[in-house]
Amino acid sequence: MTSMEKRLQKELQALTKDPPAGVIVNTESVSQNMSEWIVDLYGAPGSLYDGEKFQLSFKFSPRYPFDSPQVMFIGPNIPVHPHVYSNGHICLSILTDDWSPALSVTSVCLSIVSMLSSCQEKKRPPDNAIYVKTCSKNPKKTRWFYHDDTV
Amino acid sequence: MAAEGDKFVYDPERNYDDATMAQIRVMENEIASQNNIVSDRLSLQTLMEEYADADDAFKLKIKDLESRYRYMRRTRGDGNCFYRAFGFACLEQFLTDSKTLPRFKEVAQKSRDELVSLGFPQFTIEDFHESFMAAIKQVEKQCSVTELSNIFNDQGLSDYIVVYLRLLVSGYLQKEADFFANFIEGERTVKEFCNQEVEPMGKESDHIHIIALTTTLDVPVRVEYMDRVDSEKCTQHNFPEESQPSIALLYRPGHYDILYS
Repeated sequence: MTSMEKRLQKELQALTKDPPAGVIVNTESVSQNMSEWIVDLYGAPGSLYDGEKFQLSFKFSPRYPFDSPQVMFIGPNIPVHPHVYSNGHICLSILTDDWSPALSVTSVCLSIVSMLSSCQEKKRPPDNAIYVKTCSKNPKKTRWFYHDDTV
Repeated sequence: MAAEGDKFVYDPERNYDDATMAQIRVMENEIASQNNIVSDRLSLQTLMEEYADADDAFKLKIKDLESRYRYMRRTRGDGNCFYRAFGFACLEQFLTDSKTLPRFKEVAQKSRDELVSLGFPQFTIEDFHESFMAAIKQVEKQCSVTELSNIFNDQGLSDYIVVYLRLLVSGYLQKEADFFANFIEGERTVKEFCNQEVEPMGKESDHIHIIALTTTLDVPVRVEYMDRVDSEKCTQHNFPEESQPSIALLYRPGHYDILYS
């Protein structure tokens, strides 16, 4: 087993045994391909997304955990949020600049849940239209500028 | 591509990110292919050769260094150089002076539980801790300097050790957050600073990182600053200040190497 697989195996065990509230890993997707996970995410009670279900796609390179995972929303319901583009791309610093090998799938999910929970108004990023038209398919190929941590 | 002399015009419909990031990757690979992560021991003469065309200010400082040091070991300029330089020099000194190794090993062993108690998830930190401990055990068995060098030049092992040293810095800064909050620039908490400037790979180190690592591991270090400051000598700084370090690093703006007397 490579160090990437060993690490993901550990993360999978921890995430299935002791999942944080509103985070459910789709073990069927993982059993087919260890380097691509699908995680179901539920909007936190009391937040603007209460009762909504979302899907996150995680893709891991052989250099994981040194390379950050490629993470985006997929499926029919992409949350309407000032940091989430309508194509599922997420503007979140720990997914690129601030990624650390000590972070994990669990900590990424928790950050995304918290990002959704602190949202005051459901709206798309101001540059959604132009971004979705010109961006790469892979959100990690975007050079993100993180300017606003308050939403 | 625009012909030479044409003025660059930004096209908002075009995606420039791919090209920019590809260029960054090319530069990273170039740095990686040209240099070992940690070099062999080299004569300080190589430093003088590097500055052959530089102004006298640098040459005077190198002369000053030559009066106190004879060799250096270069580290790769990938933003992790402080951790690799300190980590290597620290373990290497125990090969010749093993008296304090048992105490160092105990500090290193216990550090994992301290990090867990600070809220770092055990399953992500234990791999990094194990790699660090494995290197310490090699030193305990009196491995050769070449074997230690091989560990630090294996990208995987070397990076695992760097991550652990970064976590130690983060843990110490967070444990002493009340104190370090005074030294952090911008509107950031100590935890945010650690998340952004300590834990991610490739983020460069400053005084605050050095203070944290030398204090938490109880291994003092002397840093010789070779910078543009107007003086004929390098500025020396011991961490902690009143200590008698047995390892020394050379700092040039943005980079750390190892020095030997």
